[in-house]
Amino acid sequence: MKTISFAVAAATACFSLGAWAAGAADSVSVVDPYVRLAPPGAQATGAFMVLKNAGDKDVKVVKAENSASKITELHTHINENGVMKMRPVPAIDIKAKGEAVLQPGGLHVMMIDLKEPMKEGDKVAITLDFDDGSSKKVDATVRKPMPMPAMPAAADHSEHMKP
Amino acid sequence: MSQRLLFAVVALLAMAVIALALFWQPQLPSVPGLSSAPAGGDFVLTSADGPIDTAALRGKVVLIYFGYTYCPDICPTSLAVTSQALGKLAPDELALVKTVFVSVDPERDTPARLKSYVEFFHPSIVGVTGSAEQVALAAREYGAVYARQDVGGAGYVIDHSAWTYVVAPDGHLAGRIPHGATVEQTLAEIRKWLPSSSTPKGSS
Repeated sequence: MKTISFAVAAATACFSLGAWAAGAADSVSVVDPYVRLAPPGAQATGAFMVLKNAGDKDVKVVKAENSASKITELHTHINENGVMKMRPVPAIDIKAKGEAVLQPGGLHVMMIDLKEPMKEGDKVAITLDFDDGSSKKVDATVRKPMPMPAMPAAADHSEHMKP
Repeated sequence: MSQRLLFAVVALLAMAVIALALFWQPQLPSVPGLSSAPAGGDFVLTSADGPIDTAALRGKVVLIYFGYTYCPDICPTSLAVTSQALGKLAPDELALVKTVFVSVDPERDTPARLKSYVEFFHPSIVGVTGSAEQVALAAREYGAVYARQDVGGAGYVIDHSAWTYVVAPDGHLAGRIPHGATVEQTLAEIRKWLPSSSTPKGSS
């Protein structure tokens, strides 16, 4: 009996997985997904990627999950006069024929409470759930933090208080 | 009648303005010179290898950053840029630069955790923290701000300013490098304040 119910559950899961893989998930492609290698001692890190929407409809990522941390959230950063405010966002919008850029200093998939220390080259399975119920699985590679001028401040010169 | 009333109102307003001009002396926050420019200053905080007293770092360029290890993105980005700039310094230059990462999250960041965190970026960076009061005092000296926010599933995150403060060898706060600066900009800023003994033809 137990076996049967398990089999049914498994079959249902497979079926639903198949059903999800339509809609938004089909029109969205993921470019260069990566996870920032968390320094030893760090309990959180972020995943970054570019989401391109080839479809004619706006879509949203409403939820994410990943294999490397216990908690996954969608976050962004707000730079208020040099103060970085990290905030969860309810969704990441990807306009029709447009793209959403998840990059350092901005939108990211926040990975909290890492299950174990990670190393460069590890793969992290990230599942993105879209607003139409479809979902997409992405394999992101763990990379070392790279200096990437992502903020508008990158063009600024350093500020001097005294000449 | 209404004209008299109007006159009375105008007279009252005029008196108020004169009184204000005579007696109201607005006090800006009690910092001389620029209204809110922080001056920097020394602090003693704890690292995994003992106390760090910035007063003992005279003669060096000191880079100070206020952050926390749960910071998934901003701190690692800033530290990665700083560490790459440090990596471009000649050994005799590097010997005259000290980078201090101050955790504004003493509740979660132990000195031991800070050590492994900062050394991942560059072995010359030291991670320090202290009591909430000690950290607040140090941050105030430099004009760094931070505020705990109970959002998301991580328990809390900390809003924080992301400047790298540059302290000249004489101890004065010489400048601050904004988040997003390039490695080259950071390197130039460090070299600008290096003691002349480390440049080819020093005059002092």
